[in-house]
Amino acid sequence: MRKWLAILACKVLRFVGGLIGRGSSLPGQIALKLCPDVLGRLEPPPYVIAVTGSNGKTSTVEMIAAILTAAGRKVIYNKEGSNQIEGVTTLLLTNASMGGRVKGDVLLLESDERYAKYTFKWFHPTHFVITNLYRDQLTRNGHPEWVYAAIEPALHPDTTLILNADDPLVSRFAVGRDPAKVKWFGLEECAVSTKEHRGVYHDGARCPVCFGKMEYDCYHYAHIGRYRCTGCGYERHATDFTATAVDLDKGVLTIGGKTEITLAFKSIYNVYNILAAWSACSLAGVDEDTMAGVMSSYILKNGRMVTFALGERRGTLLTSKHENSVAYDTNLGYIRNQKEDCVVMVIVDAISRKYFTGETSWLWDIDFDLLDAPHIREVILCGKYANDLALRFDFTSVAPEKIQVRSTAQEGVDLLLGQGDGLPLYVVTCFSDRDKLLAHVKKD
Amino acid sequence: MEVKLVHLYPDVMSLYGEYANIAVLRRTLEGLGAEVTVEKIGYEDSADFALADFIYMGAGTERAQKYALEKLAAQAVDLKAAIGRGVPVLFTGNAMELLGRSVTDAGGRVWPCLGLADYVTVETDKRDPVDVIAHSPLLERPAVGFMNKCSTTSGVTAPLFDRLSLGFGNEAKGGPEGYVDGDLFATHLTGPVLVKNQELLALMVRRIFAYKGWEAPEAVPALPHQAETYEVTLSELSARAKG
Repeated sequence: MRKWLAILACKVLRFVGGLIGRGSSLPGQIALKLCPDVLGRLEPPPYVIAVTGSNGKTSTVEMIAAILTAAGRKVIYNKEGSNQIEGVTTLLLTNASMGGRVKGDVLLLESDERYAKYTFKWFHPTHFVITNLYRDQLTRNGHPEWVYAAIEPALHPDTTLILNADDPLVSRFAVGRDPAKVKWFGLEECAVSTKEHRGVYHDGARCPVCFGKMEYDCYHYAHIGRYRCTGCGYERHATDFTATAVDLDKGVLTIGGKTEITLAFKSIYNVYNILAAWSACSLAGVDEDTMAGVMSSYILKNGRMVTFALGERRGTLLTSKHENSVAYDTNLGYIRNQKEDCVVMVIVDAISRKYFTGETSWLWDIDFDLLDAPHIREVILCGKYANDLALRFDFTSVAPEKIQVRSTAQEGVDLLLGQGDGLPLYVVTCFSDRDKLLAHVKKD
Repeated sequence: MEVKLVHLYPDVMSLYGEYANIAVLRRTLEGLGAEVTVEKIGYEDSADFALADFIYMGAGTERAQKYALEKLAAQAVDLKAAIGRGVPVLFTGNAMELLGRSVTDAGGRVWPCLGLADYVTVETDKRDPVDVIAHSPLLERPAVGFMNKCSTTSGVTAPLFDRLSLGFGNEAKGGPEGYVDGDLFATHLTGPVLVKNQELLALMVRRIFAYKGWEAPEAVPALPHQAETYEVTLSELSARAKG
C-alpha cells in the first residue's frame, strides 16, 4: 500500500511540478518519505546502466541514450541530470506501473559519485561505467581518494564494472573482484600521447594500491595513460574496448583498429566519453554499425560547447567546471591546438551555482601555461575573482602585455566590442557563470 | 642575501595548489633583494635541513599523510634540530597533524607522530570542507581560506588563530585553530594559504629575515593583485558569516 501511495504521489507531484516548472527532486523526496524502501520494491528493466566519475557523466549518458534509442530500445534516463537518490526516485516512479514495474528496456542513470551508495542500496545496476576520478569540486568532494572510497560501497558483486583502464585510481575498483565482472576500455598510444607528463600536479605519481612509484610508458592527458607500479606491479589492464588511433586535427577516432568515428568535438575528453558509451552499448548487445552511425553524427546536446556571435566576432564557449582543473586543462589544450589567431576570455565570478564558497585554490592547479602560444593574442580575465586569476597568471609564462583584467563579464564584453580586430573568441567558464556571457551574444 | 626554502614532499603532499605558497614566498623574498633557492624534497629523497632557512609542508590525502609521516619520522632528529636553531617552519592542512603526538585514523589505528607539540588528532569518516575566517593576535586582519579535513585535533595549548568567525577550528566550530610555538607555525588551512593572506606571508618573511640575522624590512610589499584577492574573499566570506 505504501509503495502504491508513493508511486501515485510521485506521479501526481511530477505532473504538477512539470506544469509549474519545478525541479525533479521533490516528488522523489516525498515518495521516499512515504515509503523509504520503495526503490527496493520496484521491478527494474533487464538492463540498468549507471555512469559515474568526475567528468563526462552527462555526455556519456546522453551518448548511450542516443545509441540505445537508435537501436530500438526504450530507454529511461535522467535527462535533467538529477543524479542523487531523490531525482533517481522521481525518474523510476514516474516511469513505473502502479504495480512497480519500471517500463522500458534499459534504465540509464547518471549517478553522483558520493551518493551512488545511497541510490544503489535498494537495487543495483547490471552495468556500472566509471569514467575517471580527478580533483573535482574540492569544496564538496575532498579529494579523489575520498571519492573512490565513497563509490566503492555502491558496487555490488553482481554488477559488471566498465572501467577506464587508463586511469589508475578507477582501475583499482577491479582489485579483488571477479575478473569476469570487469570490462575495460582505454586508448592505445597514439598521436595525442606524450612521453612526458604535462600539468601542474601529477596524481598518478604514486600507486593507488601500494604507494610505490609509478612509471608511465605514455600519457594521454593528466594522469591518464599507460602506467605500471615499480613496487607491486599494478599496471594498466588490457582492454576489451580500445581506441587504437586518435587524430584530433582531423577529428577521427578509430575503435578496434577498424571502425572510424568522426569527432564533432575534437577533444580527448570526447574520445573517452565515446569509448565509455561504446563499451556500455556493446555490452547491451548493440551492433557496431549502429553505434558508429550514431557516434559519427552525434552533436553534444548538453550545451557545454556553444558557438555564437559577439558583434562582428565569432565565439565559442567551452564550458569547464570551476573547481576542476582537468576540465580546464582539456579546454585550454583545445584552444592551444587551434591554428588561427584568437582571443581568450576566462570568467570566474560565482564559483558554484549550487553552493557558496570563496575557495580558489583550484586556479593554482590549472595549467594556464597552455595559453602561452603565439596565436593566442589576448587573454581577458573577468569576474569577481579576476584578480585571483591575474595573480595566478603572474606565475605563468603568458606575456603580461597580453592580459586584461576586468571585474565583471559585462566589462569584458564591452572591451571586446570596442576592439576591431574581429579575432575569434574562446570563452572558458563554468555553468555558474556562462549566462553572464551568453546574455550578451547571439547564439548560433 | 641567500635564502634556502625547503619544500617537503610536494609530489605527495599536494592536495590543492600547495606549491603556490612557496612560489609567492620566493617572489616576495626576491622582491626584497634575496637570492632564493627552493629545494623540493621528493618522497623518494632524503631531506637535508642543515642549510634550510624555511621549511614547508602542505596538505595531502589521509593516505599520503601516513606515508609522509613514515619518511619524516626517519628524519625527526634533524627537523627538531632545525626548529631548535630557530628555522621558521610552516605546516599546512593535515601536515599540521604530524607535528603532534599522534593521528588515529578512521579505522582506529594510532600513528605516532613527531611529538613536537602536545596535541592528538582523530580522523573520522565524515568530511566537512569549509570556508574560513581566522583571527590571530599575530595578524592585524583576519586570515581567509579554506579547510578540507576529516579530523579533530585536541590538546592544542597555543593556537595560531584564537577564534574563527567562519569555519571549524581544531575541534569545534568557531574554536581555536592551528598551532604556534615560536617560529613553528601550523594550520589546517589548505592550499595556497600565503597567496591570499599577504599579512601571513609577510610574517613568514620577517621571521626568515630574523633567522638570517638580517635587518627587518621596513615593509613587505604585496604582489600585484594580491591585496585585491584578499579583500574580495574577505568581503564574500564576511557576508556569508553574517548571513
